[in-house]
Formats: sequence, structure tokens, C-alpha cells
Amino acid sequence: MRIGVFVCQCGTNIASTVDTDAVAQKTLMLPDVVYSTSYMYTCSEPGQKEIQQAIAEHGLQGVVVAACSPRMHEPTFRRAVEKAGLNRYMFEMANIREHVSWIGTDREANTRKACDLVEMAVAKLRYNQPLFSSKVPIHKKVLVIGGGVAGIQAALDCAEGGLDVVLVEKKTTIGGRMAQLDKTFPTVDCSSCILGPKMVDVSQKENITLLASSEVENISGYVGNFKVDVRKKATYVDWSACTGCGACIEKCPSRKVPDSFNEELGNARAINIPFPQAIPKKAAIRREYCLHFTKGKCGVCKKICPVDAVDYEMQDEILTEDVGAIIVATGYDLFDHSVYGEYGGGRYPDVISGLQYERILSASGPYGGHIKRPSDGKEPRDIVFVACVGSRDASVDRPYCSGICCMYIAKQAILTKDHVPGSNSYVFYMDIRSPGKNYDEFVRRAQEEYGVQYIRGRVGKIYPRGDRMVVQGADTLLGMQVEVEADLVVLATGVESASGSRELAEKLRISYDQYGFYMESHPKLRPVETNTAGVYLAGVCQGPKDIPASVAQGSAAAAKVQALFSRDTIETNPQVALVNERSCISCGKCIQVCPYGAIQWKELRGGERKAEVLPSVCQGCGLCNATCPCKAIQLLHATDNQILAEVNELFG
Amino acid sequence: MSLLSERLGWIVFEAETKRLHELVKAVLPELDGIVGWEQGFDALHATPVFVNREEDVHRLMWSPLCVHNLSGYLVKTPPFLPRDEGRKVGICVKGCDSRSLVALEQEKFLGRDRLHIFGIPCEGTVDWRRVMKKIPLRGVSSVRREGPELKVEDSRGVHSLPWEESLARRCLRCAHPNPLVHDVLVRDPVEPRIKKDEAYGLVEEMDQKSLEERLAFWSAELDRCIRCYACRNACPLCVCQDRCIVETRDPKWLTQKMGISEKFMFHMIHSLHLAGRCTECGECERVCPMEIPVTLMKEKLNQITREILGYEAGIDSQLVPPLLTFNPGEHEL
Ligand SMILES: Cc1cc2nc3c(=O)[nH]c(=O)nc-3n(C[C@H](O)[C@H](O)[C@H](O)COP(=O)(O)OP(=O)(O)OC[C@H]3O[C@@H](n4cnc5c(N)ncnc54)[C@H](O)[C@@H]3O)c2cc1C
Ligand code: SF4
Ligand code: SF4
Ligand code: SF4
Ligand code: SF4
Repeated sequence: MRIGVFVCQCGTNIASTVDTDAVAQKTLMLPDVVYSTSYMYTCSEPGQKEIQQAIAEHGLQGVVVAACSPRMHEPTFRRAVEKAGLNRYMFEMANIREHVSWIGTDREANTRKACDLVEMAVAKLRYNQPLFSSKVPIHKKVLVIGGGVAGIQAALDCAEGGLDVVLVEKKTTIGGRMAQLDKTFPTVDCSSCILGPKMVDVSQKENITLLASSEVENISGYVGNFKVDVRKKATYVDWSACTGCGACIEKCPSRKVPDSFNEELGNARAINIPFPQAIPKKAAIRREYCLHFTKGKCGVCKKICPVDAVDYEMQDEILTEDVGAIIVATGYDLFDHSVYGEYGGGRYPDVISGLQYERILSASGPYGGHIKRPSDGKEPRDIVFVACVGSRDASVDRPYCSGICCMYIAKQAILTKDHVPGSNSYVFYMDIRSPGKNYDEFVRRAQEEYGVQYIRGRVGKIYPRGDRMVVQGADTLLGMQVEVEADLVVLATGVESASGSRELAEKLRISYDQYGFYMESHPKLRPVETNTAGVYLAGVCQGPKDIPASVAQGSAAAAKVQALFSRDTIETNPQVALVNERSCISCGKCIQVCPYGAIQWKELRGGERKAEVLPSVCQGCGLCNATCPCKAIQLLHATDNQILAEVNELFG
Repeated sequence: MSLLSERLGWIVFEAETKRLHELVKAVLPELDGIVGWEQGFDALHATPVFVNREEDVHRLMWSPLCVHNLSGYLVKTPPFLPRDEGRKVGICVKGCDSRSLVALEQEKFLGRDRLHIFGIPCEGTVDWRRVMKKIPLRGVSSVRREGPELKVEDSRGVHSLPWEESLARRCLRCAHPNPLVHDVLVRDPVEPRIKKDEAYGLVEEMDQKSLEERLAFWSAELDRCIRCYACRNACPLCVCQDRCIVETRDPKWLTQKMGISEKFMFHMIHSLHLAGRCTECGECERVCPMEIPVTLMKEKLNQITREILGYEAGIDSQLVPPLLTFNPGEHEL
């Protein structure tokens, strides 16, 4: 093989601590290397030209570039050599920047290490083979998981662009958390007034299939060709018949059902529609509270329903969808404040969460929009808001900032004053975080126009005195202990990953951080992509954020899908596993370990079975190769021989 | 026919051998053959035998000299397996050997329904090399156990050795002397010599040594290896045979280069391929002509497997060996 080596100086990034000329000279002595040089910026256009010229002039059959991380520029150089007529896999990259010049200052040692890395790349390149990708058609349908505002936005944008969308929502209605909110910062416009039209749009768009009360059961396949099994959970009401009239709800005798839409303030019925604007507006029975299921008698709803939609025999259903891309928008849950014993451990009815307060403020909430305290229904005059409950607190494993609480506290304090003009609001906070557009102004309005008293410090204890609550804390600005007597205490409970987020991530094969938030592919440059091609993120499932950011991410994810679907086919990655049938001993171990189900049995003419890789399903993880005892299965472009060549070069 | 004991030079296990003959005769017509042991070239050695005619059944025997793990014959070329669906072959197994069958079934190399297993609860097998080292023997004519003693008669008379001192290392650390799978038992179950927790004494002893001492130990041991691959060939779970990567040229993991590095590499590959699979039958060590304690490396890996994954190979045919699954939830690893 005729090999050319190009050592990049990266301006002074590499050249300052690596003698790039010496590296180039030394590698010229290697067998098969017929050309080598060092260059200021190999990735620049003239740098690429130089490679292409050398390929032509010296008849190069393989190219090594010693430069930065292949994550940066491997695609650049692969394209460059391809333009000059080489197969793109006849190229290797040695990382002498991140792995050498940036991590050591000893010029001599660095130069030696750079030489070693180049030698290894050359050793590997000798075993490289041209590889070719194939094209597979894209299923131009997108799955959106989660029908909060982020998922709704993503679904609408995709549908607007003419794509077929399947929206899977685990609850019986879409809307997510935003549907529970009263007004929204920083404009204080009514949440359901701005969300409602979007929800209606979802139900009316012909190319959106809404699967509520459903969850993703299983996902197989790969970008462009995912196969998704969706479990449609039994609601015991035939939704194709139900008109959402609500007659059944009125008559249901099971009245002590915790109302989860109202955050457990007040009761719902065993058969229920969570709120008037629900989409789809269909009734569903909660089996665990229904007297028909628990006691075996009742049947009132079935009798009352004018369209005979109630069906106690209904079973879960599994639907299968073929989609080309997936947008995950599963949102969040809230920190359970009962772990803080010093705040009452959830025992005091007048110590509530911020979301419960949203429900109290809401006209469709449990108290019809009148601010009352849950214990005795009295209108509170003194209200304390406590920030960072389950945020920025390493002792409860929540060291991160939830990002929205400072803002919604200000909003809730303003709304409180509007509802109860003579009331006093106090806010215990650690820092105010209000970096959005018009956000700081909003907080200032709360302080200056609405007279909300901000006390900087942590709350140490909350306990009852008479029928009021005492909030004890430190005022760190005044350097003294303060005590505020309140009628109602609102805890700004922090944002947590949605329950089941880890399990879903395993199904999707995307990564998540230690708190269960999904990992973007790059924190700055690929914020809506995941490391699994064809799977995108939107909303709080990726990390705490407010509505504008969730909506923006929903739209961004939709744009990514549109870009992906603008082509009819995608090129497969040829760096996949391949079985050498002559060495395969048919042990089946590779089939057992492949996490993608990419290997199957192939029957030969004599009836013998051999392993066979489905190249379009294989993700190139290499588990099969590591497991195969006789190494009959090899990962192309990272074969045993290629890796051994590198190792032998280093130690041989 | 001469008395069995006279012919074999073996007294104590006559009852078991007789019982084995009866049991085999009862099912032989339904079997495509049976693999067991027969008397070898002298009284101290047994040798594997394949029997498929009634008149040959008398050749089968059981004694503590039946050292071989016969289960490899079922999977190695040419595999000793029933010709047709619904038929079976018979196999004689000790406790340790039975675990190989379980492990092979776990890995789907064997179907339990194709086998008729004659299980033999075992009080330990005799390591003839150990015996020879204690008593240099010549022309052994009879071997027997008399209570706590092994009695060996050769051209120079009768010698005796404490029974425990004649046993193989694997037997002294055996926690499963009774076959875990069998269709019939040839004798009553016996009391295990040790509990499983006590099996890794030598490994723990090695762990006490410094890194340098361990390196020196293994360098000295492995330097003697002649790469005859007897250890690999005897291992019932080394199923790659002529596709074994220590001999293939593509991929080229090992060269013919002399020296310890290639030997070391071979043993690392062998051990790692057996990690979480090896049932510690000890065959690899038994057959090594250079007397290298090669099972010890696998014992170390098994000890780790037990500690980290709580798994022991060849115990439950329904379990999947831990390195043959991929569970992304295994964060603690
Ligand atoms: C008290 C409070 C007040 C707030 N006030 C404001 C405000 O005034 N202004 C503002 O900008 N922001 C506010 N926020 C933040 C706002 O709620 C979020 O930014 C927004 O709701 C995020 O939307 P989302 O779609 O990402 O998540 P969500 O609203 O949580 O939606 C996620 C959806 O996915 C569904 N889902 C979850 N898991 C699955 C699954 N496995 N399969 C299928 N479906 C699933 C859920 O049921 C839900 O419908 C407030 C938050 C709180 C707690
Ligand atoms: S490399 Fe092997 S184990 Fe990994 S996805 Fe491909 S076939 Fe499956
Ligand atoms: S692991 Fe290797 S030998 Fe076993 S079936 Fe797969 S490719 Fe064949
Ligand atoms: S490695 Fe040795 S002890 Fe383990 S199963 Fe194979 S032959 Fe038996
Ligand atoms: S049997 Fe002994 S000498 Fe032969 S390869 Fe194995 S360890 Fe080496």
C-alpha cells in the first residue's frame, strides 16, 4: 500500500508542543509510507487540496492525518480523500492534539507520543479495506412521545410540514404540566387560553394520530426504520363512541378518588375527564377506584351513558407503528417535599407545593379560582413562598437548579395580590435567577409594584402555631433569624425527571444523566439530538426549562426531523459486524448478546446454521465480536487484525 | 467369566460397577450407545470406552480411577450424539462432570432430552501422578481402597498411602460430588467434602502474594508450557476446536514465536473465554503434561464471577451465563 501522512500544526495548537516536522520525517521511514509532510492547517481548503494533490502525484492508496480528534474533522478528511478518488475508509486519523499537545508540555515526550500514534494509525491503515454504504428508504412518519407543550409543538410543526405524526401520551389527555398552570410568566396570560388552541389543533390535524392513555412498549430498528409497539391502556370507555358529555361522571358513586389533575386537592370520580378542555375529551375509568371492579357491583355509568360507550371488558391493546424518527418530550415530575421533615414532612395541609397553588389560582381548579387554604377554606392574608425546595440541595441529591421556580414564585405572588388585595407575600430565596427576556423586570415588578417581601435565606423550620404556620429562617442579608407567621406556605418544589424516564431511555437506547434527564448529543452544538441517530429531544425531559424554551426545542426537534426526511433514503453505516461463515462455530453467543437484535441464524444448504448480521440493524457496538470465542464475527473498520496491528506497533 | 475384582485388580467398587451394568443393560436398546470408562493399560489407569452392544457392557466400570470428564465427547468432532430425533445416547458422569453437561445445556450445545445420564456420586478421584510421586511404582497389578488407605500392589509388593493424599486437587476442593443432573444414580449420594465458600483457598493464598511474587510464580509455571493445547482440547467447554483463535491466522492473535509472551497470551485467552463458564472440572490441569496448575487461573475468574455477579456455572440449566447477556441496567459493574 502507498501511504501518505499529513501532520497538522493546527496553527500553534499542536506545533507549540510537538515537533510536527520531526513527526513527518520520522514517519517517512515507516514501511509503505511514500509521502509525508507537515502543514499549518490541514483542515483548511488549501490543506485539503494538498492531500488531494499528493494522492494524485504519489499514487497514494491510503491517507493518515495526524491532527485533532476524529470527532471534529474525520468527516472533513473522509470527504476530501473521497473527492480525490479514494474510498473514504482508506483514511485514518491520529489525534495528536487532544491526546498529545493539549495535555503535555514536554516537547520531546510529546513528539515521541505523536510518532507512536501516527505509527499506530499507519499500522491499522495497512489492514483497512474499502467499505461501501447502502441506501435504505426512510419511513416518513414521526413518533412523538409525550403530549406536553413541547411534544404538542413538535407534533404540530411536523404535521404542518406534511409529515404523518403519531403522538403517544400516557395520560388520558394531552397538555402536560402547562394545562395545570393558571397564568404564565412573564406576561401573565392565561395558560389554557394559549395552550388550548394548540391542543385543539392536534386533534384536528388530519395527519396527527393521537394515542392518549398509551405508552411505548418496545422499540426496534434504526434511524429511518423504527418499529414501535404502543400499549393502548384500557380506559373501559369506547372512545370512538364517547361524546365527553360527562353524564357518567355526575352519577358515579365512587366520590373519594384523589384528583391528580388538581394535585390531590379535592376529589374526582372513578370515571373522569380531568378538565373541561381535555383533548381528547373522553371519559376513562380508574379501575382501582371503580366499584364495579373493586366490589363487583355498580354499573351505574354503563346504564347512564347515552351512547353505551362504557365497556368493562376492555383490554389493553398493542399497536405497531413504523416510523422514521422519534421525538421524546416526556417532561418532568416534581420533587416530593415530604422528605423534608423540618417542613412538616407533608403533614400540614396548609404547606402546599407550587403546582397545587397553580390549581388553587385557576378558575377551573378545586376552589373555582378563589384563594382558600386547604385546611379550613379560609382566605389567607399572609403567604410565604419558599424557593429551592428540592433544588440546589446536595443533601437530597438534587444539586441542580430547577430554573423555573424563581419566576413562577414571582408570578404567583403577583397573582396573589390581584386575588386578595390586602394580602402580604413573603419569599424566602437563595438567589434570584431570572435571565430570560423581560424576566428580571418581572421579578422587580413583584418586588416594587406588588410589594412582595423578598428575604434572602434558607428556611430552617415550618411548624403550626394555632391555626397558622410559623416559618423560621435566616435573613442572610441582615444577618439575623426571622420568623414569619403565615396562613399558607407554598413550597417551590424542584423539577425531577419524569417517572419511568430511565426505562424509556433504555427502550430508546439513549443516554441519561444520574438524575434521569436525557442526554443531548452535544451540550452546545447538538442540543436536541441524542447519540442514537433519529431520536431527538424536546422540553424538560432533557433538563429543567420553562415554556418558551420547551416550545423552541419542540420546534427545533421538528426541524431536525424535517431535515432528515427531506431525503428519500439514508446511507447506512458500513462499519458493522460481519460473520466469517467458515470460522463460525454456530455457538449463538453473538445472537444472545447483541443489544440490537441485529444477528439471526442463517441456514446453509446442508442444514447447518451460521450467524448472520443484518447490516441495517447493526449499530457497530462490537459486543458480538468481544463475545465470539473464535472471532468469526468481526467489526468492519475495527477488526481484530486492525486493533492488533495498532497494539503490536505500540508494544511490539 | 472371571470375577470382576480379580480382572480389575479393584475390590471396593465392585457393587457400583455391577449396578452400572444392570442399569445400562436395562436401557441399552433405547440408546445409540453409551460412553463410560473401562480398565486401562494397568490397574492405576482407566480409559474412556464407547459401548453399543450388550456383550460389551461388562467392559464398563466405576472406580476412583475414572478420572476423565466424558462430556466433551458429546460436543467435539465427531460429536457422540443420537442419530435420530427421539433417540438418546448414554453417558456416565461424576458430580463435576455433570456440571459440564448443565453448562453445555445452558449454552444450547446439548439438549437434555437427547441424553440418558448415569450419575455416579463420587468420593474423589485418584491422581496417579500424585501417587507415583509418593511411591515410585512399577508394573501396578492392583489398586484398592481399604478404609482410610489406598493400597497399591506392584512388582515390589503392597504399598499404602493415606486416601486423602492420593486424591486430585480438584477433588479436594469439590463441593458438588453428587451429579446435578441424571436419569439414574448408580449409588447413594455422598457427603460433600467442603462447602463452596471454602473452594477458593488456593486463590486466596495467591492473592496474599505481592504482584512481583505472583508474576514470578506464573512466569515460572507458564514458561514450562509447550503449547500442546491438551488443556484446551480436554476442556468440554472449549468448543471452537480447529477454529480456536490461538491457531487461526485470520485474525492473528498468536504467532509461533517462542517465549513466554505468546504462552501467557494463550492462557489469558483460554481463561477469559472460560470466565463465568468454567465449571472447575479440573480436566485442563489433569491433562497438562507439564503439570501447570492451569485450573487455578479459571478459579480466580470464577471467584470474581461469584463475588460480583453471584453466579456459578453449570448449576442451573435455566440460567443464562452472565457474560452471555447484555443488560444495560447493570450500572454497578
Ligand atoms: C408550579 C409551576 C409553575 C410554572 N409556571 C410557568 C410559567 O408561568 N411559565 C413558564 O414558561 N413555565 C412555567 N412552568 C414550567 C412549565 O410547566 C414547563 O416548562 C413545561 O410544562 C414543560 O413542558 P414539557 O412538554 O417539556 O413537559 P410536560 O408538561 O411535563 O409534558 C410531558 C408530557 O409527557 C407525558 N409523558 C411522560 N412520560 C411519558 C411516557 N413515558 N410516555 C408517554 N407520555 C409521557 C406526560 O404525561 C405529559 O403530558 C411552571 C412549572 C411549575 C411546576
Ligand atoms: S456490533 Fe454486533 S452486537 Fe453490536 S449491534 Fe452489531 S451485530 Fe449487534
Ligand atoms: S459468536 Fe461467533 S462462533 Fe458463535 S455464532 Fe456468533 S459468529 Fe458464530
Ligand atoms: S477450563 Fe478446565 S476446569 Fe474449567 S471447564 Fe475447562 S477443563 Fe474444566
Ligand atoms: S496442557 Fe499444559 S503444556 Fe499443554 S498447552 Fe496446556 S498448559 Fe501448556
